[in-house]
Amino acid sequence: MTNSSKSTLSRVIAVLAVLVLALVPVIGSRAMVQDLFMVLTLLVLALNWNMLAGFAGLVSVGQQAFVGIGAYAMFGGVILWGWDPLPAILLGGVAAMLLSLPIAFFTFRLNGAYFAIGTWVSAEIVRLSMAQWKALGGGTGTSLPKGTTKEMIGVAQIKELLGVSSSAASDALTYWLALTLAVVTLLVGYLFLRSRMGLGLQAIRDNVEAARSVGVDPLRLKALVFVLTAFGTGLCGALLFIQITRVSPDAAFSVVDWTAFVIFITVIGGIGTLPGPVVGVLVFYILQRVLADYGTVYLIVLGLIGIVIMLFARKGLWGMFTEKTGIELLPLRHRSLQHRPSQRSGN
Amino acid sequence: MLSRRTFLKTGAATAASALAMPALAKGSSIKIGYVSPQTGPLSGFAAADAYVIESFVKTAKAQGVDVEVIVKDSQSNPNRAAEVARELIVRDEVNLICVASTPETTNPVCTIAEAEEVPVISTVAPWQPWFIGQQGNPADPASWQAFDYVHHFFWGLEDNVQVFMNMWDMIESNKSVGALWPNDGDGNAWASDVGMPPALAEAGYKLTDTGRYQNLTDDFSAQINAFKQNDVQILTGIPIPPDFTTFWTQAKQQGFTPKMVSVAKALLFPESVAALGELAHNLTCEVWWSPMHPFTSSLTGQSCADLAGEFEEYAARQWTQPLGFIHSLFEVAMDAIKRADDPTDGDEMAELIGSTNIDSAVGKIQWGRDNVPPFAQANVSKTPLVGGQWRMQDDGSFDLVIVENGLAPEIALTGTLEALS
Repeated sequence: MTNSSKSTLSRVIAVLAVLVLALVPVIGSRAMVQDLFMVLTLLVLALNWNMLAGFAGLVSVGQQAFVGIGAYAMFGGVILWGWDPLPAILLGGVAAMLLSLPIAFFTFRLNGAYFAIGTWVSAEIVRLSMAQWKALGGGTGTSLPKGTTKEMIGVAQIKELLGVSSSAASDALTYWLALTLAVVTLLVGYLFLRSRMGLGLQAIRDNVEAARSVGVDPLRLKALVFVLTAFGTGLCGALLFIQITRVSPDAAFSVVDWTAFVIFITVIGGIGTLPGPVVGVLVFYILQRVLADYGTVYLIVLGLIGIVIMLFARKGLWGMFTEKTGIELLPLRHRSLQHRPSQRSGN
Repeated sequence: MLSRRTFLKTGAATAASALAMPALAKGSSIKIGYVSPQTGPLSGFAAADAYVIESFVKTAKAQGVDVEVIVKDSQSNPNRAAEVARELIVRDEVNLICVASTPETTNPVCTIAEAEEVPVISTVAPWQPWFIGQQGNPADPASWQAFDYVHHFFWGLEDNVQVFMNMWDMIESNKSVGALWPNDGDGNAWASDVGMPPALAEAGYKLTDTGRYQNLTDDFSAQINAFKQNDVQILTGIPIPPDFTTFWTQAKQQGFTPKMVSVAKALLFPESVAALGELAHNLTCEVWWSPMHPFTSSLTGQSCADLAGEFEEYAARQWTQPLGFIHSLFEVAMDAIKRADDPTDGDEMAELIGSTNIDSAVGKIQWGRDNVPPFAQANVSKTPLVGGQWRMQDDGSFDLVIVENGLAPEIALTGTLEALS
């Protein structure tokens, strides 16, 4: 099989997979819809973090700032200004993007571990500030008003179309939004990384000075990625908290839920590869379903798995798989044309 | 922990096949979901869970009612509480949810269940943060709505404020009160207009409130200095246990010696009191339940002392206050199940729970009484509250002595209040 037919095949499979996923609310159970919603939202967070840490070399531990601000902006839109939750989700994304500008301004002066700590500190500042926002409950937090999710734009139509209860219809709606967000994030990520800018980005990650010497502007590119991933993370945060229906500073800005788990997912799946987060999120989901009832043991096991993979499979599960089998999905390497026939002929 | 798993029917087996499985067919037994913080910083509240649930399932079986209790751990995390509530409703298809311990656990579960139209019995959170905390706009009473499916029983801030103030009236002091109220569900409620400041002003107390601090603070010098400057002789607040330990140790080092310390939440459990050692002697707290309470269980007919005795034998540890309340959650559940034509019908169950009228191990439980403001009457039933003081024994352990019963004279005093200095 040639490379081009291989990639055609993987495209067909990808389109089919998305179609099947899109049909889940019609053919599957509500439990399945809600599980996949969690999986897809975690995937979006992981894809965004992977773009930052895996491709731009920006190891942020402050992504919860964008999840939280997205959630709070969405709640503000719904509760204080009477918006429908759907436009309020967009507001969440925009708020996160705006927040990312000052955060980038300060943290981009730092490198490596200092940058990581800088982002974490920024997220804490945002959390403490939100705890002072009395109109949204301060440190107590607040719930979405009764019936909000059932009156969302589109829920009535879905209810009629599928013949289900309004709660199931609102589940379906948020699920489709999560699916769209995940597919768009993956696609945009792929196209971006395949573009000239993406090449520049990876050059910066590998050696800033060398990249600069061939005319890549590191600051501009990194800032662009930081702001765009903040937008995606903020949208995802707003969407998540429509399902959770209750926001409080500790929940919205939880470093464990929205950053530590996301790092775990990306690292075990394969950081710096596009399918990595997809594999990681599936592994994480299975572990959570099997182990979450065991309390602290669950977190210890997660930690141990993370350590083992970092020690023995540095490129994560997907990296290991690619190395062993030579199969690549969504490849990001650029091969020169004359070498193609001799390299990995594949048959 | 292990015993809990013997009747836990979730876990690995169902999980592995869950993705591919359509909704489970309804069995004939009644499924009750139970959510509490079994791990994490709030786990002290869940110490009696395993015992209570095991004995409930046993009792139900003996009375010919087929129930299954599915236990979920909120991990002291409100996000996780919301997630397990969804799991219970959608995956396990429970007929009823019982939830307990702090607004951080009860509120996410109740909000979701109300939207999903599943009946909930909730307890162990003062009713204001529970009811008002679930409203879209807590600042605007006109917008508050009652709930159709969730019912809560516990006391309110007004009771706790009254109990503390009754204790303070028993001693000589300059009526200068210092407050430690954190920026969380409980702290904000205490510091608000439905909390302590208006009551203090009315009774002629002077309040020193240094503002809402963040939980897990490690330096309380600012607060201690403010209290010293204002000659505070009475200390109150609702810190989490580790914060109170930090505060009180630093207060002693810095020479702040109030005559009276009445702290809610931090001094509930023998463990947190023992952690302070002799510094905890004669600190006072609110008492919602004790083996000395003169009530009997409507489920097992046990007195409070019997219940505590059986628990102490089962768990090989001292009784703890949540024991009575977790037990009563299942008393209410059982009472409604027995009265129902179809216990799996959520609408009927919600209505029956609302019309509960039982004498339980924590006192009378009946919704719609007028000791609660009209907006919350349908959803909140109050239980009695008294005041207690921790006394260090010769062997270094602590006993909780009931020293104040102004709001509930039926609960007998077991000692007299002593000032700290």
